Amino acid sequence: MTTTDATTAAATTESVPTSQTLAADTRRNSHPLLRVRDLSVRFEPKMSPALTAVDKVSFDLLEGEFVGLIGESGSGKSTLAMALLSLLERPGRISNGSIEFDGEDIASMSQEDLRHRRWRDIATVFQSSMNSLNPVMRVEAQFRDAIEEHSELRGDAVTERVRELFSMVMIDEKFMSAYPHELSGGMKQRINLALALCNRPRFVLLDEPTTGLDVVVQRSILEAVRRLQKEQGFAVLFISHDIGTVMELSDRIFVMYAGQLVEQQAATTLVKDPLHPYSKGLLGSYSNPRADTVRVTYIPGRPPDLTRPISGCRFAARCPEAIERCSSDEPQLLPLAGGRVACHVAHLQRGPSEDKPDGLPEQTTRFAGPEFVKTAEDSDRARRGEVFLEVDSVTKVFERRRGLRKQQTLAVDDVSFALRKGEVTALVGQSGSGKTTLARMITGVDKPSSGTIRFTGSEGTIAVEKLRTRQLRDYRKHVQMVFQDPYSSLNPALTLRYTLTRPLRNHRGLSAQEADAVAGELMETVALTPSNRFLDRYPHELSGGQRQRVVIARALAANPELIVADEPISSLDVSIRAEVLELLQELVTGHDIGVLYITHDLLSARLLADEILVLSQGRVVEQGNALEVIRNPQDAYTRTLLDAIPNPFEQATTTS
Amino acid sequence: MTAGIVQTGSEERPGDATDERGEGDAGYSQQRWWQLLWSNTKARVGIILLLAFILIATFAPLIAPYEGTRSDFDALLPVSGDHLLGTTSQGADIFSQLVYGSRVSLLVGLFGGLVSTAIALVIGMWSGYKEGTVIDDILSFITNVAIVVPVLPLMIVLIAYSEVRGIPLIVFVIGITSWAGHARAKRSQIITLRNRDFVTAAKFAGEGSGRIIFREIMPSMTSLVAAGFVGASTGAIGAEAGLSFLGLGDPNSISWGTMLYQADSQGAVGQGLWAWVLAPGLILALLITSLTFINFGVDLLSNPHLREDS
Repeated sequence: MTTTDATTAAATTESVPTSQTLAADTRRNSHPLLRVRDLSVRFEPKMSPALTAVDKVSFDLLEGEFVGLIGESGSGKSTLAMALLSLLERPGRISNGSIEFDGEDIASMSQEDLRHRRWRDIATVFQSSMNSLNPVMRVEAQFRDAIEEHSELRGDAVTERVRELFSMVMIDEKFMSAYPHELSGGMKQRINLALALCNRPRFVLLDEPTTGLDVVVQRSILEAVRRLQKEQGFAVLFISHDIGTVMELSDRIFVMYAGQLVEQQAATTLVKDPLHPYSKGLLGSYSNPRADTVRVTYIPGRPPDLTRPISGCRFAARCPEAIERCSSDEPQLLPLAGGRVACHVAHLQRGPSEDKPDGLPEQTTRFAGPEFVKTAEDSDRARRGEVFLEVDSVTKVFERRRGLRKQQTLAVDDVSFALRKGEVTALVGQSGSGKTTLARMITGVDKPSSGTIRFTGSEGTIAVEKLRTRQLRDYRKHVQMVFQDPYSSLNPALTLRYTLTRPLRNHRGLSAQEADAVAGELMETVALTPSNRFLDRYPHELSGGQRQRVVIARALAANPELIVADEPISSLDVSIRAEVLELLQELVTGHDIGVLYITHDLLSARLLADEILVLSQGRVVEQGNALEVIRNPQDAYTRTLLDAIPNPFEQATTTS
Repeated sequence: MTAGIVQTGSEERPGDATDERGEGDAGYSQQRWWQLLWSNTKARVGIILLLAFILIATFAPLIAPYEGTRSDFDALLPVSGDHLLGTTSQGADIFSQLVYGSRVSLLVGLFGGLVSTAIALVIGMWSGYKEGTVIDDILSFITNVAIVVPVLPLMIVLIAYSEVRGIPLIVFVIGITSWAGHARAKRSQIITLRNRDFVTAAKFAGEGSGRIIFREIMPSMTSLVAAGFVGASTGAIGAEAGLSFLGLGDPNSISWGTMLYQADSQGAVGQGLWAWVLAPGLILALLITSLTFINFGVDLLSNPHLREDS
């Protein structure tokens, strides 16, 4: 399945359209397809305080336009999407404003009238591709349902249309009679896309259509979207937290923060000259991985609590450019430099000079907040460390019984490498490449089928593949993990004090008081200060970045020599990723800990890692200095992974 | 859709606590569980009823005009000021019996529920946590046997053959015969939780299985455990009444089940002595209803989606 995806990806790579021209043409001779005015969505749950998740949002979407909507999680993107589709569920409701589709107000339309429009005029692809296909129906029948409901086609004509749709999304027509569970995630999502297009809609809403899919598969799906959009001329509102991809695909971008649109701008302009500091912050999370020195910025703090009244600009508390006026006057979304922006500073900076108040910050295109820097020299130094873990020709075979036959899957195939103190090694590969299996073997959770893993720590050399349950507990003094999702790796029912003191008591044998004191120190290490204010809190009281800090503090508690970090930033908002990277980097240099960084994303691998191993189908296909691998990829697979990294900046420089 | 829920869900609430604004925000935190329970009408009715029963049981000597075991009145007196519900054919005051009978039901409900829940938790949680191992095989086998064995004959046999009769025996018998279904439920619930990252994290923190199960995982299942306990109590109350009705109850104390047993053996229905039959029957139904209502509220705790519908 993955191979089909990979080939389609390769096939479509050349045809990435930059269809600004097409969109511009349509824009000139059409009235807005979707006209949203002062749309507000309010959630009024019975048990908790009410909040306005979408606040007076107004915009126009033209026929055939591709618009991206970006913002951190919780900024109201998906709520806005649900409102546009009239799919809001209790306790949410549209409290104000209008949504006109082709001149008709659909916000006040009855569900029955809407039913006829849905899928024919307005279609959508939801986030969870796994769940939006009916598992007990063959794929073709699901197409047939949708097509027969909304068109005159019957019988063979429908089959013909389905065949056409399948070829549009480049899936072999033999899968028409398949059940959803027989398809890979990428295929399911492409079928969802085909389903959305089956009645030739005029507007398609894509709500994070590729989240949870592999980078390479993501790429192929998004390219299909762009190509079809260009061919068929439907309008798209594309919601994603993957800012790079949105930038690359969209004609126009809406930036959303705390329920409001803060900037509307053409994509090319936004990349070159973002007006709102928040947009700058989001863009700052991208950097060119090929550069000697990579810098990424992050936005400190977290979005405001929408259940409370806010005066002034909602971003002011996190904004490095804020001036006095920002905390008292609420900025309006006003036209500026070809787009619209809701920011006092941006307007003043570009306004007549006599209006400029004292202390107005310099006009910048970069986010003026904190940043994380990684240089090539850092990596060179790290790669001279002392080897403490050696993986030698490790192979892992999974056996599964299928009836009478035994099915063997080769998950890891003859892999050898070494980890050094004070160095970050990245294991990069798509899902199914064996990187997680490898990590499980290194942490002792799984045993290799053959090969050896030697760990040389403070207590001599340990043969990891031979450890028994009891010894394994001791081994974990040396090897700790940082998990992908800080929302699920901290126990919601326990205080941070408990979470942090347990490894101290188990691994270091400290008494309760000693553990308490050390837990405080750990909190300080990860910059959660003052520690006593945090220790008695529960995880839900912290932001995502803070939670991940606690997870890192817990991993440090045992004084480990190796930390295995499994995608530690991929579930975090782009705006705070660098914050966690910076902390990990500090630990590596400050504590002389080796880090095994597992990721599918070469960009983040470059940001943190000194050495990169590229895994494909269980084998190491490329290995070497991080910068070297990225600048000079030798293997075709590495190049595919590299191509999957969106690079809005590169595009901006080539088109301008 | 998910995003909409996430934004309003109790889990992540923007600005609950942040670096600088922390202190002020901590003031309003999440809904407390008792507030949630109280907010549900059914649960509220259930709690008020149960409290009334507990008060009646505690202050039985003050409420009942006579001792519950006293039977030296004239037989079959009609309803009157002296005997609110009349007397039985053995000359006992029905109203006093009813008041004292609440003690037995509540005690059996509490302890029977506790014993049964405790066994179910230990066996179910352990076997679910060790899913796929020999320990799970053995524990699941025991659970399955306990499910398959017909409970009522087993209870009758156990009680009939025991030397002593009394409430502790009934609690014990109900406890060891009624845990199996709950253990099965706990096993499947823990299986969905045991692969969470925080469980793996606890293993990396060097925790042992017992601590992981009962200290890390169980708190996330509190509402399910509570629901299981209320259900088990309801079952225990019903079982006690049933056993007593069959004449297997404690001969030295009065319970609603024994009242029904006596009424039945004296042919109360045939003689048209409705108060004698209906009073204990209805009051028993009322107690069980109150517990069921409470469980509606407990459901709200474990399933946030139900909160908006009520």
